[in-house]
Amino acid sequence: MIDSLYIAWKYLGFNRLRTATIVACVTLIAVLPLTLEVLLAESQRQLLSRAASTPLVLGAKGSALDLVMNGLYFDDEVPELISMAAVDAVDDTGLALPIPLYVRFKARRFPIVGTTLDYFDFRALQVSEGRQVAMLGDTVIGADVAESLGIGVGDSLLSSPETVFDLAGVYPLKMRVVGVLGRSHSPDDRGVFVDVKTAWVVQGLVHGHEDLAQTTDASMVIERAGDKVVASAKLVEFSEITEENIDSFHFHGSPEAYPLSAVIVVPDDTKSGTILRGRYLEGESAAQLVVPKTVIDGLLANIFRIKNVLDAVIFVVAIATMLALFLVFALSLRLRQREIRTVFRIGGSRSTIVRLLLAEILIIALASAALCLVALVVVQNYSNDLVRALFIG
Amino acid sequence: MLLLAPLVTDAQDRAVIYVVNYPLQYFAGRIAGDLVDVVFPVPPGEDPAFWRPDAEAVSGYQQADLILLNGAGYAKWVNRVSLPRSKTVDTSRAFRDRFIATEGGASHSHGREGEHAHAGTAFTTWLDFNQAAAQANAVRDALSRLLPRHATTFDKNFAALEQDLADLDARMKDAGEGGRNAPLLASHPVYQYLARRYSLNLKEVLWEPDVMPPESEWQMLKSLLDTHPAKGLIWEGEPSAYAVNRLRQLGIQSTVFDPCGNRPETGDFLSVMENNVKNIKPLLR
Repeated sequence: MIDSLYIAWKYLGFNRLRTATIVACVTLIAVLPLTLEVLLAESQRQLLSRAASTPLVLGAKGSALDLVMNGLYFDDEVPELISMAAVDAVDDTGLALPIPLYVRFKARRFPIVGTTLDYFDFRALQVSEGRQVAMLGDTVIGADVAESLGIGVGDSLLSSPETVFDLAGVYPLKMRVVGVLGRSHSPDDRGVFVDVKTAWVVQGLVHGHEDLAQTTDASMVIERAGDKVVASAKLVEFSEITEENIDSFHFHGSPEAYPLSAVIVVPDDTKSGTILRGRYLEGESAAQLVVPKTVIDGLLANIFRIKNVLDAVIFVVAIATMLALFLVFALSLRLRQREIRTVFRIGGSRSTIVRLLLAEILIIALASAALCLVALVVVQNYSNDLVRALFIG
Repeated sequence: MLLLAPLVTDAQDRAVIYVVNYPLQYFAGRIAGDLVDVVFPVPPGEDPAFWRPDAEAVSGYQQADLILLNGAGYAKWVNRVSLPRSKTVDTSRAFRDRFIATEGGASHSHGREGEHAHAGTAFTTWLDFNQAAAQANAVRDALSRLLPRHATTFDKNFAALEQDLADLDARMKDAGEGGRNAPLLASHPVYQYLARRYSLNLKEVLWEPDVMPPESEWQMLKSLLDTHPAKGLIWEGEPSAYAVNRLRQLGIQSTVFDPCGNRPETGDFLSVMENNVKNIKPLLR
């Protein structure tokens, strides 16, 4: 058999291009479904582990999937907004800890996550460099943000306008990077974390400007009528929060009316969670309280339905490829009539020819398997990042 | 209400409670005694309502086992820092529907937001001793959640404090009823809850005890007296002798009613409030 393998090896080496093409075909047809399997398994693991570790998510009635994807994975699709009053309502029940989330704005393509310090405890996120957010305008960035943008403690990060056409919109806020989170291999690595009040500053709901009652610049005021003052465009809202101007930042109206995209609800125990869910099921509540795992299970069921279709397609393509390969071998036998005659002349039998062909097939199969293994090891190693980049965002 | 898991389990680990004003420090101290460390980081002499913490102080608050806020917009700095919601208790939340709105300066408009005013909320909530008891009750509840093993002690200590506050409330009510709606002046707009609870016919000027009011303020006072013929003025702190004498010439007696937002130089919250009641009584006769 060794001699057959040797001759086959030499033959395949001589016909490098043809061999490489066949090996590539076989490798691809094997790698595709296996890679898909690995990536889907990883995405299932990531989606489910994040969902399973988040007991309940509260949001405005509407798409539960948008709510969960935004609240858990900081997806670009912003669900219908709810207000801080929803957080107070959960608080008042005494059954759960509400963690507000406002994930709507971006800073250089990374999501700005407005929340409270409780989020970091809840997700067990540790600051690996610097300190935790303390003042308005502070931000703590995820490991991917720091690595990708090449920024760290002491640098600053500008919020991005919601749309490029929003010429009359608020100025971007220059945020101070005060800490970098340790890598968590989760969507938190891509987060630009700020206090929820800073997210409202980004939106312009909380802002600071020169005191109109105190200003000596007459051109800053268009009209003064009794208690009413109309400011001119010269009155610029501060675009950076500093020691000097932080006291001028103020809320307009009740903070209870300020917007949020979602609220993570952490019940005291299973019973408290059930009672809470019951309260949001009944009545005319404008909010919905969803179990992320149930929502993600539904999403995965759809994904696996699509995967079944893909598997069928790949199976058909694999058969077609195998038939094509069989044809290649059959035709190559015709082209190799002179070689075969030579083998007979030097004393080789019909079985020698079969052995030579089997040896060729074996070498091609082994080469494809090796390549396939290497590709799978690479995919497996990078599956976490690949899944987050390709599927979760 | 917030959920405070019993974070402090070991008897050796004393819980650290951070507060935003002296009344809350006093309430927490009376209720918890030596079982906790109550930290009130505002330097003496500063008004805690307008104090601004540095990064170190904010870090102290963030790492505390419990943070007691006064609520009602007291200590504006709270809105400009990040505090863990799970450890924060707003002690006046139970009566937030009875907050008094204050006039908020000029309304103004700029940008696309339209007209708005920076109206506020009266925040010296504890000068209504009934509300003070409600705040103390919130402190007791928060402590009991934090250290459930000591809940009985907290209940006992709270009952004594509640009784003291009820006595103060009764005496202040007597004084208020004795005043029969007589006009009274206050040096600062910090007595809204006191006036409401104890039926005081109070109007405020904006005078600082240690700053001599300018002549324009005296003229405004005279105009005010035409419609509000007050015979007494209550000050936050000890006023200057000149101001006292000049007021006396106008037929106005001066007295001190210390809101006690920061820790007093002598005595404690209870003794300061007892003095306050004693001081205001003659003005209401």
